[in-house]
Amino acid sequence: MTGLLMRGADKPKSVRRFTWDVTIYLILAAVLLVGFAINPEFGTAFNFSAILANMGEIMLIAMPMTLLIISGEIDLSVASIVGLSGVVFGYTYYFGGVPIAVAAALGILTGALCGALNGFLVAKLALGSLAVTIATLALFRGFATAILGNESVAEYPEAWTNFGYDTIGTSFIPRTFPLIVTFILLFAVLAHLTSFGRRVYGIGQNVEAARFAAISVTTYKWILFILTGTMSGVAGIVYTLRFSTAQWDNAIGLELAVISVVLLGGVSIFGGIGSIWGVVGAALLFGTLEALFNLQGISPNVFTVVTGVLLISAVVIPVALRRLNQAREFREGAKTRIPVDSSTGSRPKEPSGGS
Amino acid sequence: MSGPTVPAPTTTTAGRARKLINGRIASLFLILALAIGITAAVNPRFLGGSGLTDLLIGSAVIGILAVGLTPVVIARHIDLSIASTTGLSAYVTLSIVVPNGWGLWQSFAIGAGIGLLVGTVNGLLVAGLNIPSLVVTLGTLSIVRGILYFYSDAGRFTPDVIPPSLIAMGLDTILDIPIIFWITLGFALFAAWWMRYTPVGRDLYAIGSNPPAAQLVGINIFQRTLLAFMWSGLMAGIAGVLYIGQFAFVDASAFINQELAVVTAVVVGGVNIFGGSGTIIGALLGALLIRVIAGGLVAVGVDPFWQQAVNGVLLITAIGLDRILALRSQAKIQRIREDRVEEQSWRE
Amino acid sequence: MAAGKASGEILLVRNANKRFGGVQALKDAKLTLRDGEIHALLGENGAGKSTLVKVLAGVHRLDSGTVELNGKPFIQGSPRAAMEQGITVIYQEPSLFPDLSLAENVFISRLPRKGVAITWAQTRDETKKLFDELGVDLNPERLARGLSIADQQVVEIAKALSLDASVILMDEPTAALTSSEVARLMSVMRKLAERGKCVVFVSHRLDEVFAVCSEVTVMRDGETVAESPIDKTSISEVIKWMVGRELKEMFPKVDAKVGATALEVKSLNSASEFKDVSLHVKKGEIVALAGLVGSGRSEVARAIFGVDPYDSGEVILNGQKLPPKRPKTSVARGLALVPEDRRQQGLFMISSVARNVAMEMLNRLSKLGFITNKQEINLTQKWQEKLQIKYSDPRAPVESLSGGNQQKSVLAKWLATDPDVLIVDEPTRGIDVATKAEVHRLLSQSAADGKAVLMISSELPEVLGMADRIYVMHEGRLTAEMARNEATQEKIMFAATGEKVAVAGKKR
Repeated sequence: MTGLLMRGADKPKSVRRFTWDVTIYLILAAVLLVGFAINPEFGTAFNFSAILANMGEIMLIAMPMTLLIISGEIDLSVASIVGLSGVVFGYTYYFGGVPIAVAAALGILTGALCGALNGFLVAKLALGSLAVTIATLALFRGFATAILGNESVAEYPEAWTNFGYDTIGTSFIPRTFPLIVTFILLFAVLAHLTSFGRRVYGIGQNVEAARFAAISVTTYKWILFILTGTMSGVAGIVYTLRFSTAQWDNAIGLELAVISVVLLGGVSIFGGIGSIWGVVGAALLFGTLEALFNLQGISPNVFTVVTGVLLISAVVIPVALRRLNQAREFREGAKTRIPVDSSTGSRPKEPSGGS
Repeated sequence: MSGPTVPAPTTTTAGRARKLINGRIASLFLILALAIGITAAVNPRFLGGSGLTDLLIGSAVIGILAVGLTPVVIARHIDLSIASTTGLSAYVTLSIVVPNGWGLWQSFAIGAGIGLLVGTVNGLLVAGLNIPSLVVTLGTLSIVRGILYFYSDAGRFTPDVIPPSLIAMGLDTILDIPIIFWITLGFALFAAWWMRYTPVGRDLYAIGSNPPAAQLVGINIFQRTLLAFMWSGLMAGIAGVLYIGQFAFVDASAFINQELAVVTAVVVGGVNIFGGSGTIIGALLGALLIRVIAGGLVAVGVDPFWQQAVNGVLLITAIGLDRILALRSQAKIQRIREDRVEEQSWRE
Repeated sequence: MAAGKASGEILLVRNANKRFGGVQALKDAKLTLRDGEIHALLGENGAGKSTLVKVLAGVHRLDSGTVELNGKPFIQGSPRAAMEQGITVIYQEPSLFPDLSLAENVFISRLPRKGVAITWAQTRDETKKLFDELGVDLNPERLARGLSIADQQVVEIAKALSLDASVILMDEPTAALTSSEVARLMSVMRKLAERGKCVVFVSHRLDEVFAVCSEVTVMRDGETVAESPIDKTSISEVIKWMVGRELKEMFPKVDAKVGATALEVKSLNSASEFKDVSLHVKKGEIVALAGLVGSGRSEVARAIFGVDPYDSGEVILNGQKLPPKRPKTSVARGLALVPEDRRQQGLFMISSVARNVAMEMLNRLSKLGFITNKQEINLTQKWQEKLQIKYSDPRAPVESLSGGNQQKSVLAKWLATDPDVLIVDEPTRGIDVATKAEVHRLLSQSAADGKAVLMISSELPEVLGMADRIYVMHEGRLTAEMARNEATQEKIMFAATGEKVAVAGKKR
């Protein structure tokens, strides 16, 4: 599924990845061109500043989520963690009276603990990440509601809120930008240039082979959930500062955008395939589209249609293309791929579905 | 009977396993009665006056959605788009019914049509292209809601314009039971029947229980899965009409973010989130139970803000319970295999 | 002898040929079945019986040859069609619907109805009737979850009866049963034969075959080598048929200097898999662990390596005790396991060759955990030369390689770690003859380099040709140990099928 346009098993992997990533960035370029053409405000520094700032939380969470989905798991509770860590941050600062830096640390720690709980339930108790994180989605949001109720905390030191929405000097670059770029680079290195990353891909491609390769699958999954929780915690602080508000419904529904971006970035929902660069491109594409919609005066609520369509097509298109390819290979004759042998023979990975 | 007949050593455990399933319904009733009892004891007002009627009115919408979702979950799928579909159905139905001066029956027809449409799209994507239902319905969740926002253009329907017959449906009772709950109950009984007595229902259990085997015995997985999603959509469409009756106020955010409450109701009601087992009646009881707990928490003076956290805990507990039951039966099989090796070494 | 009123021929397989890649699984095979008989289908692992069973089950299609059922050509290639034509296969571990009742499992997708509604009482009663006919006491209304394997098989047999199957194939049904369950199954088989059904019994337990069957067909290397009424033959003759090939393959076994004990296993037990397994392998030695598939050989290897747990006993590597369930430690201390199923266990199929080959070397190649593609590719190219792996590009996915080159990639991955002890599980299964010889050369070379090699294999020529010493396993226990010069195909087969008397008889 890596290659959007080709699935030739004989193509070197680099070529196939190249195709997918480039496709995303080409679409991004096209959207940018359209933006410049149809709206004079699109090309302004202010707009780009907004795009980068708006993408912040999604990018922060999409990074660990990429690794998590590559490992074959998923976390639907991230938006609730964003909400909860923001609430913990605001509550401990405003009502608890702790120094704001400590409050922020507590918020991030909350995220890490949430991730640890998810990891415990999924990796240790083998409960299935979909079911578990649907439940913790409700649970973490519930805690946020229980802590702050209908109240919100909106008073923070100016220095901190400036970090949330101001830009660096007179440029259009948001102050959060260096932080986000740092995390992107960290995760890109982690995914593509470390043993850890190599093993995560292995786990996602074939858990059994991973065990035989002496990889401690449970530990790895647990670490990935904790990473995702921690990064959601960081995103929770950024979100709170950006809007100067901690309340129970911060970032509600954000998990949808994060997962859409990750899948659109070429990560397979079935695990084992994907790259950080594809996801970064998809996040930028997503943010640019959103900004363009905004400038055209279309309500952000309507933009959720785009989110949904992107999410579904990110999964449908590779599947549909593979079907087409298979049909073509079939027509070209079965000689191209011969089952290897009877005893260990290739199991059909995909049931042909239905009738 | 000739030949060595080995009395199946597992029969008693089997009986127990079966009782456990039926026991699930019984224990749900028990928990429900207990929850109501405790709450009423602490706060007599909970059952007094219109307390019980309010409880049933409050359960009707979630209840019918649970009835719709159950076949989908039994077939090892999930439908997260139902709350959005409910909102869409409620709003679009009114937007057609109100200007035309139509009433109850037209409303149900329109609502059902909208629900069926969304359900069919979900079903075709899931069953036709083999895409995980979670991804598909997470997508349609936001697509449907976005369409609703676009269509409503910040509009709203208030009680003064809503057809009186719909409002009456939400207020009136027959035999002390609210009409909208009767409707939910009717669909629940119908679904319970077809899940138990028709090949469609049985095939859904088979698909959820062992998908490869279902394929092998020639079950039309595509068609059955599609039907399950159409049913879920249909119920969400009807739920939209009930929603109008219950709240007499509809805007684009109607029933937003309520999908997890329905999933909780279904799972707490004993439907296995990993597919294969569960009943419609259990799911309906699950919906009642989370409603009672929500009302009960308020009645005994717990901050209502805790309600969602409680739902989350209920959901994790229910999932964990299913897992423990599954592990137990695995452990039993393991013991049988161990006996086998023991016996063989003894033979030699 | 077995019951049955044998009459006409019901199923005829003639000139059956089937190839999988480079392996000829069936070579002009034939099979003749008559109604009312219990027919044994015998052969070593890989002799072609499973392929033949799968053809009749509708899973595979023959390349050439004919299958005739009741005088009509049998429609191949669809499990459902096979069932509808009257052939049912009972697998060793049936696949029931755990959440459905036994009655529903029997009548699945054909439940009796009145109008649209299913008549549950009728379903239950008819199932009860079938169970009674088979002489088993099972409650039709219980769920299939938690049912013992023996009972699951009975449910499948009841299903076959309800479908009015004329041929019932049982693929090693007794392998996972207790002796009382086996006795019950045999009585069920006799009842089926009395009703005019043809029962095909695929088994390695020759005592059971001789107790219940009336006819026997023996296969070897894809060919049918013998057909006989059971009372005209004997266990030792059947074993001769099964293994009676000429040993004409050349094995590149070189003599190596045998050193100290590298791997020692002391009475290893795993409750459900194997019992009291003790063995040792010395440096420079190739030791074979022979036996039939399912005898517990792979399970022992997995327990030694640490992928699976074990209950008691110890594993000693280079004089040091190896902790259980710690594959990481095993690898670090110099143990390597090339698993049985390279596609499911040995490789990450969509990853590149380089990723796969370098997987176990990540810790040694990387600096502070950092690794680059270049490091992986360099390593891979080094091993490509040593092992003659054929690929277009080290970055090509390993699934694009032929089976033999895939196997070499797995070997490269583990040899790269320079292990002291190399465990290989079915190292040449499903690969072509030329590559096979290369793998054998590699194993021999490894031993010559001073590594201890433990080779699990079902192929007797390979065992006899490669091993310095041979252990034989049967149903979770070691039943024989023999040196290279005293081993024969027959001796191994007798030990592998648990025929102790005969082995003793041959031991001077």
